Amino acid sequence: MSDIDYLKRLFQDYYRKKTNQIPPIDSLNQREFGFIPWDDIIIMNRHISFVNYEAFKNYLSKFSPRHIYSSGALYNNPDHTDMNKKGYLGCDFLIDIDVDHFYTPCKKDHDLWYCKKCGKNGIGMAPNKCPKCENSQFKSLSWICEKCLSLAKNEIFKLIEDFLLPDFKINKEELKVVFSGHRGYHLKIENEKIRNLSGAERREIVDYLTGENISYEILGLNDLNSNLYFLEDNYGWTKKIINKIKKNIHDYPNDVLKDILSDFGLNREIIEYILNDKNNFLKNLWKIKGLGEKTWVNFLKNITKNLGAKIDVPVSIDIHRLIRYPGSLHGSTGFRVQELSLSELETFKPLNEINQEIDPIVFAEKKDVKIKIEILENKVPSIKIKGKTYGPYNKGTIEIIPLHVAVFLLCKGVAKTRSFIDD
Amino acid sequence: MSDNFDLASHYPWLPSSLIKYYSNLPDDPKEFISEIFSSTISEEISERTFEIFKAAFNNLENVVYYKLDKLNVYMYLLIKILLIVLNDKLLTNRVANLYSKINYYDLLEENDYNIYHICNEELNLNVQYLPEGEVYGNKSYENNQQQVITNFKIFFIDYLNLVANLRDEYRKLINNPLSNGFVFLKKKTLIRLLQEYVRNKIKEVEIKEITKKDDLLNIKGFRELLEKISAAWKNRKDEIEYYEFDGTEDASFYPPCIQEIRSKAKEGQNLIHTERLLILWFLLALNVPIEDIVKFFSTMPDFDQEKTTYQVNFAKRKGYKVYLCETLKSLDLCRANKDKEKICTEGYYSKTQEAQRKISSPLQYVHVRQHRNRRESKNKSNINN
Repeated sequence: MSDIDYLKRLFQDYYRKKTNQIPPIDSLNQREFGFIPWDDIIIMNRHISFVNYEAFKNYLSKFSPRHIYSSGALYNNPDHTDMNKKGYLGCDFLIDIDVDHFYTPCKKDHDLWYCKKCGKNGIGMAPNKCPKCENSQFKSLSWICEKCLSLAKNEIFKLIEDFLLPDFKINKEELKVVFSGHRGYHLKIENEKIRNLSGAERREIVDYLTGENISYEILGLNDLNSNLYFLEDNYGWTKKIINKIKKNIHDYPNDVLKDILSDFGLNREIIEYILNDKNNFLKNLWKIKGLGEKTWVNFLKNITKNLGAKIDVPVSIDIHRLIRYPGSLHGSTGFRVQELSLSELETFKPLNEINQEIDPIVFAEKKDVKIKIEILENKVPSIKIKGKTYGPYNKGTIEIIPLHVAVFLLCKGVAKTRSFIDD
Repeated sequence: MSDNFDLASHYPWLPSSLIKYYSNLPDDPKEFISEIFSSTISEEISERTFEIFKAAFNNLENVVYYKLDKLNVYMYLLIKILLIVLNDKLLTNRVANLYSKINYYDLLEENDYNIYHICNEELNLNVQYLPEGEVYGNKSYENNQQQVITNFKIFFIDYLNLVANLRDEYRKLINNPLSNGFVFLKKKTLIRLLQEYVRNKIKEVEIKEITKKDDLLNIKGFRELLEKISAAWKNRKDEIEYYEFDGTEDASFYPPCIQEIRSKAKEGQNLIHTERLLILWFLLALNVPIEDIVKFFSTMPDFDQEKTTYQVNFAKRKGYKVYLCETLKSLDLCRANKDKEKICTEGYYSKTQEAQRKISSPLQYVHVRQHRNRRESKNKSNINN
């Protein structure tokens, strides 16, 4: 049996036995579904619909695809292949937070890239151009660890606690959070009024969440001659920015603060002035020698970037986007796309969850099954799952590992099975 | 200021007005039109409607004889039918701009209760009235602090719906005070949003499709009015089409990014902040007279002659430079690839440097086109000679 057949059987077993862990979603019969099967060529089968939840579950038991998606949008004819004839009715607001889309310090520990042209390789995020041959196409191996998944979780909380609840007053019950089964989290807002927003109106919300297209001039933040402390109670982004500056200034010791302010684009002279006048400098920006509007606005841009949520923008704007179905398995990891309540999210640890009800590593249940695998890639970073570290590995390494780790490596395509070992 | 009961006659675009005055309106507007033009009001309604169109042709901001009476209600519907029959985008935008502006000034005179009533009861918007006013921030002038207070806030989704076509930076959600699901805004700003509602409403084809246009043209009074408007518009439109910032460069030499903005402006569409800056600095760089630049902006729905004149003069004094192509790309204003314009995408051949050079700014595009034009004219005259 090939590894693909083996994985398909495992997935099928899950979909047959754990149907209770695949929740029905709102208006299921009006959603478009998409599936990626276990074929060599990755093509998504779209424009599929189900009359009801039972029909959907039967499909999963029968075909057990590698990846399962459903639309954020509702349609009159969800299975029509012409998007214009689907009868669009509205779309939930979708937010995707994926560590692949933003910098995390741990990437230098576990992400690898190879230039497709000259073969040069390196660690961390792939550069824009190959330093050797200037080619811009790379093969990359994006890995995950507790640290980057924890940063993704922080972004979800930032989004909810700093934006969606206080500014937009979204009802908590309308927020559906899931661990994506790989590198981040998805958040869906199910609200009748929000469903009717156009792509352009969604862009406005996205700009608000990310800080894109802010005007410091309109908000009065670029005027060095005025007392910016006066703006600290202004609703919206002004308050966020002033509070963030104040918080940074007061929370960090001077040596740390120096680095932060330097990273935010201020020179030594300006930093010294700020440190010497921590409580008043926002009143007297005009007094700071060397601080021009350009430097100040650059500083504000960095603060804004820091405050904004790091979301995958096109996902939130595109009203026809498909998103992973909760409870399904992620075909690139074998982990479950795990639905979470906000209280569960607080303590949730995707790679080492104690609460079995919300544990995305479903194959860890089969403790007795071990697999002998062989590593296929030149270098495979280590992965810490269920408190135990596996790897790093080099090409050709043969090792006996638990089923859930083997499924992860097989799904990632970096290993192949040698034999199955039952204790 | 209107009493609540006559809001419907003052503002014919209100749903209650349609119910009150048009409840017997059949699907086919023929009956309504023939009733109007066979009645005693025929002459007056024709004159007043023509006045509106005439003012719209000239991008005026007001109509001297505009009255908030019952006739005004019929006029609203007549204007809509005329616009559908005339089927001219530029004209429709101009009439919609003017009509919404008239309503804007009238709404400014309304008391808070009427504005609240229009928003909530009529337009089904979630606007909250704060009788005591709420401080939503401060303004800082050097070392003085001034509280910013309002009596109105609007649910963010309704806000987004209303500003959907207003693309300037001031309307962006991120640049507005948002808290607890509501955007806090001054009464004047709320009325500006209502103006936008009216502008869109007049352009909306809610009257059942006018399939039998000929039936309407058989009604003498309607036909005469339509012909009068068409003739006057034709003359004015010709002037607009040939209007090329008198005495300056040929606008056909402008690059695609500028052409795009010009065509939007001509149609009376809104321009975003960066588009306005680009065209302003570009025209100033070409030494287009101030009054012509102000005239260019007069098609904007939010045009204010005094403010625009001040801003154009201010920009001239400051001597701002036109955006470079690189900046235009980052602002998503560059049209080079969309319009597949060769000079923009491939550049031009520089004889002096013996190399293909890239275009770096919209002004350089104009210079290249002018140079080529001069060369072609010279060649032609050589051939003729």
